[in-house]
Amino acid sequence: MTGITGTILETVLTTAFAVADPAAEAAGHAGAHGGGHGATSGGALMALIPLLPLFGAVLVGVFACFNEKSKLPAYATVGLLAVAFVLTLITYLGWNGHDPIQVRLWDWIGLEWGSGGVGQTLDAGFAFYFDGLSLLWMLFVTGLATLIGLYASEYMEHDAGLGYCRFFGAFNLFVFSMSCLVMGDNLLMLFLGWEGVGLCSYLLIGYYYKKKAAVDAGMKAFVVNRIGDLGLLIGTLLTFTTFGSLEFTELFATIGHGSTASGAPLDATWQVWAIPLLLMMGAFGKSAQLFFYVWLPDAMEGPTPVSALIHAATMVTAGVYLVARMMPLFVADTQLIALSVVTWGGAITAFWAATIAMAQYDIKRIMGYSTISQLGYMFFGLGVLATTGGVFHVFTHAFFKATLFLSCGAVMHGFAGQLDLRKLSGLWKVPGFKIVVIAMLIGCLNLAGFPFTAGYFSKDMILAEAWVTSDSTIWGSSWAGWLMLLTAGLTAYYTFRVFFRVFVGPVEYHPGDDLHDHADDAHGEDHAHDAGQHGDHHADHFHPHAPKWAINLVLVALAGGSVLAAGLYFVGDHHGWAGDMVHASSAHFDPAHIGDHSAAVAGVGDAVAGGESHAGDAHAGDTHAAHGTILGLDPHKYMYYISAIVGFVGIGVAFVLHFAGRTEAATSRADSLARAMEPVHTWAERKWYVDEFYHFIIVTPLKVISHLFHWFDKLVIDGIVELFGGVPKASSESLSPATQTGVLHDYALRMVAGVAVVLVVVAIVLY
Amino acid sequence: MTTMLVLTILIPLLFAVIVLVRPPEAAKFWALGGTSVCFLLGAMIVGRFFSAAGSSTETMQAVASLEWLPALGLNLSIGVDAIAVLLIALALLLGPICVLASWTAIPTDRARLFFGWLLVLQAAMVGVFAARDLLLFYTCFEFTLLPMFVLINEFGSTNRKRAATKFFLYTFTGSLIALAGLVYAAWAVATRASGADLGPGGFTLDIGVLTQYASAVLTPGEQGLVMAAMLCGFAVKVPLFPFHTWLPLAHTEAPTAGSVLLAGVLLKLGTYAMYRFVLPLTPVAVYEYAPFIGVLAIIGIIYAGLICWVQRDIKKLVAYSSVSHLGFCVLGLFALNTSGITGSVLYMLNHGLSTGALFLLVGFMYERYHTRDMDQIGGLAAKMPVWSFFMVFFVMASVGLPGLNGFVSEFLCTMGAFTSYTPWTTDELNGMVGATWGPLGPWFGVAAGTGVIIAAIYLLYMTSKVVWGTLNEPDGHDDDHSPLPIDLGGREIATLLPLAALCLVFGLFPKQTLIDAVEAPINEQIAFIQQRVTEAPLRDGTLAAEAGSPTSKASASVLNESSNAAGRNVGVKP
Repeated sequence: MTGITGTILETVLTTAFAVADPAAEAAGHAGAHGGGHGATSGGALMALIPLLPLFGAVLVGVFACFNEKSKLPAYATVGLLAVAFVLTLITYLGWNGHDPIQVRLWDWIGLEWGSGGVGQTLDAGFAFYFDGLSLLWMLFVTGLATLIGLYASEYMEHDAGLGYCRFFGAFNLFVFSMSCLVMGDNLLMLFLGWEGVGLCSYLLIGYYYKKKAAVDAGMKAFVVNRIGDLGLLIGTLLTFTTFGSLEFTELFATIGHGSTASGAPLDATWQVWAIPLLLMMGAFGKSAQLFFYVWLPDAMEGPTPVSALIHAATMVTAGVYLVARMMPLFVADTQLIALSVVTWGGAITAFWAATIAMAQYDIKRIMGYSTISQLGYMFFGLGVLATTGGVFHVFTHAFFKATLFLSCGAVMHGFAGQLDLRKLSGLWKVPGFKIVVIAMLIGCLNLAGFPFTAGYFSKDMILAEAWVTSDSTIWGSSWAGWLMLLTAGLTAYYTFRVFFRVFVGPVEYHPGDDLHDHADDAHGEDHAHDAGQHGDHHADHFHPHAPKWAINLVLVALAGGSVLAAGLYFVGDHHGWAGDMVHASSAHFDPAHIGDHSAAVAGVGDAVAGGESHAGDAHAGDTHAAHGTILGLDPHKYMYYISAIVGFVGIGVAFVLHFAGRTEAATSRADSLARAMEPVHTWAERKWYVDEFYHFIIVTPLKVISHLFHWFDKLVIDGIVELFGGVPKASSESLSPATQTGVLHDYALRMVAGVAVVLVVVAIVLY
Repeated sequence: MTTMLVLTILIPLLFAVIVLVRPPEAAKFWALGGTSVCFLLGAMIVGRFFSAAGSSTETMQAVASLEWLPALGLNLSIGVDAIAVLLIALALLLGPICVLASWTAIPTDRARLFFGWLLVLQAAMVGVFAARDLLLFYTCFEFTLLPMFVLINEFGSTNRKRAATKFFLYTFTGSLIALAGLVYAAWAVATRASGADLGPGGFTLDIGVLTQYASAVLTPGEQGLVMAAMLCGFAVKVPLFPFHTWLPLAHTEAPTAGSVLLAGVLLKLGTYAMYRFVLPLTPVAVYEYAPFIGVLAIIGIIYAGLICWVQRDIKKLVAYSSVSHLGFCVLGLFALNTSGITGSVLYMLNHGLSTGALFLLVGFMYERYHTRDMDQIGGLAAKMPVWSFFMVFFVMASVGLPGLNGFVSEFLCTMGAFTSYTPWTTDELNGMVGATWGPLGPWFGVAAGTGVIIAAIYLLYMTSKVVWGTLNEPDGHDDDHSPLPIDLGGREIATLLPLAALCLVFGLFPKQTLIDAVEAPINEQIAFIQQRVTEAPLRDGTLAAEAGSPTSKASASVLNESSNAAGRNVGVKP
């Protein structure tokens, strides 16, 4: 036992020492530039990134123990997260741009059997792995978490006390888990983060735990995610049995050889498509795609900063990360079966969610459906081999969707929880909301794909590739592309429907009916304070509660980030900064060789080794002479125009239907159109009754089966036991008057008879 | 160390006597003292055991033997390996926790009865794990029933008499049949094994000797019967579906300390006995029937999990969850590979911690509200934040959240089942390198994996009813007339904190704390089983080891009964 403690202590001390010692650090950097794969002190810094928020969670827990009522938990959180962000930045700047950095803190789950060779060791370290992909994710995860933490310090101020601590504790734990997910060095570490973010999501969706809807939504999110997780878990096990390892570097090296660990050619195996499909199941669960999306709209029950950070910017993109991370496996299949499914899964989800978003009235839910739709774009991008586009869209979407959510949150905060777009109008003219409206506008322009915004470029990169990649490579990719183009138009429409209804037009507002969705942690005083402040909100003289410095500052920063993100499209050697990052990660492959197995995996192997740069990357198809066209035009050149036109049409329709000639909040020209489209409009508003359908085909039958099992257990299984238990009693009762003679030799006789019976039985059984 | 081990059995008995002769007011203090001393001894045993040179963790330590009736080969001998020592530590840790948890719940006038039997129970539990001799093992195994019977029968809730009787009779009947099987194996060794050290009486019950020779002298047919007999006892104890119906009843009616020890330690007697006896005594039969037992385990996982979901009684829910969870434990054990058995052994410890803690929490709630009905109680987060924190924490440990202990064992058990392929099936599976020798297959892993979803459903259902929502208290509940604080007090937190800390440590450092400790004896055990199975004669007279082709798959699993192996392998050391 002392040995164990010693090891742990040693690990911690080594890490701490490496950070504290600048000399060692410098040496470590030199090592990293030398191309070493081992743990460097850059790695030690890196290891602090997840540990800081973990420490933050503990710290906030201590505050909770002392019943801290100030905003201290929030500021401590923001401070630690800011340091984590700076550390990420330092790691990024000190990184040589191609070699993955690895650092192992301690052995987590490790086993050895047989001779301990390949496939006979399970070695999952508590270890981190940093390449372009994880860096890109970590930069926006820590950056956005810092900003949104600051925003939440004001947004959650009415819950100061235990609720505040609960919020920021889970918030910190989330950043820790997300870091483990993104920086995990093996599939089990990824799974640790994966489940950890699921827990935090559960806790934060159900933050207002007195609301049944919030509690149910949290549970729904966790359970639906777990169904996907089963796929991920089995995919992980199958990966292990096939490749003999769960560590990314070993895994990619084996896949790079185009064979399983036992030397069988990958092409001939069924695992080559089964594993990607299983992993995809996990990804679709976490990222709310296809059959799994139902949990995300309900997750909007959580506080808005949570919706912005977890359910828009970061956690829900974990599925995209998983597919991008495991890209070598997805492209190892010459048939590209899994990628075709990813393409169509993403496309159908994007379209489906957009149709629902068009008919909703709750602006936060619209943003929720929009997130599902945009995640569909990202998967679609990965599917049609536009890896760079997909990943870049993750990055830009993180900024503009966070901006949108936080703007909606500011509205919600200011109007006592009002989110119905029929009850709010013309916020531009409400004092104190100028910054909110401008931020909202920037977010909407990005989401709608307005020319020269970041969202425009990232979406364009994805869309163009649908036609570049031939229909035979990815099954029907151009058809899916048309669906996505249509969805782009719908997106522009529903985005500006919100903007034209709520933020401009005639001034009119009706406050919502809740007190900031308060969770009063057994502290009556909180409630009293709140009632005092907002008690009059139903009265005629309701005053909107304009955001203060924290919210405004964060909105400005995020809106600025959304704008600046567009610039990243123009820097770098491989189609933007995101392209560079993808190029230096496992997500990189050479599209020229897709379908030609041996060459494709060779490219993968090089990318992992950080070898020489390749001529083509995912988006660099234009260097190859022949690729697909859209209406006879080169998609790389003309998609800019086509998607811009589609975006304008969507915005224009929204302008005509929801802005022009609108005189009050509740009605617009769209109403008559909606009436004309019945019952389709109602169905869309009712979310196509998918929840009811699931309830009918899954939940109810399962519940019925459970009840049947319960009664079966009680009556049949326990009944049989009781029957056996009843035999001695019944027999003794029935026999007692006749047999209890009191004569000794009667008993002796019966005893002999009994022994004889036993012996006969034994004899029969044995011979 | 031997002395310390003996003391951990004797000290509770001594304190039980003291409790009986001292006034009732002092009973709980003496009980706390006794269990605390034992816990410290236990900590020292663990420290000594693992600080001894690394290789010694493979072997038995603290071995001692006391001759009792040498003419009949009856000794009282003790000794522990890594697995036994960890389970002893678990039992000793739960000792003082149980005393503290019962501090206010037991009326003073009956405290002597309660704490006296609690101490006896503790001695018996340690005795089971420390026994190296069948006589001592069986005596202690059965002697755990008596104290538990008293605890349920005297201190349980309304339906306690029936629960106690059923618990006692069901498990006792099963164990008798198990004893018959064990004695048969001992008799076979005494009459057929030539090289065995049988002692002066020509008959031995030494576990080491039995496990070494029994599998060689028993024919496959006999092994099947002996295994069936042993499982009659041990499967009931675990409990494995469909022998589980005594458990929900006993758990529901038992006092908190009883439930904690029942879930934490007594159920593990079943799985421990499977590991200690069923696997090494009858490896051929185990290999042959493992798929059948695996199916029962999986049915248990899914069936009991779904039943949990429709419970109204929170204690019954947690009880059924034990049935579901131990399905994983049995599944891993019968996967017969390193990850499976390691996962199973870890599961024994981890389940003891997390489910033990859940029973404590339910007990604390019951002490305040006197109801277990989840329709009458809810939304406690608003009133009892500390209680709610621990509840969510241990629910997550139980759900199998990575980073906490439950995940490690659940993952390893599932992986064990998933990767456990017979050598002649791997061809069909494209030469999977991660596949290991074993009787189960990937579908067992997949089916068990659904348990992960079901566990989330029922445990979160419980959490959303009891922890979240608007505050709901039973009619007539009055905080002012309760001697207990509204939220958990220091004493109650003190019972939960060590369990929570261990859940974290075993979740984050499983390799350093547990896996490395148990790996060597487990691999030794597996090598032994593997050798015995591959040497076993098949129906066509060949050996399984020689039959490598896929066509012999069918014949390999049907072992020949007629080829009498009585003389084979006798005296061959594994």
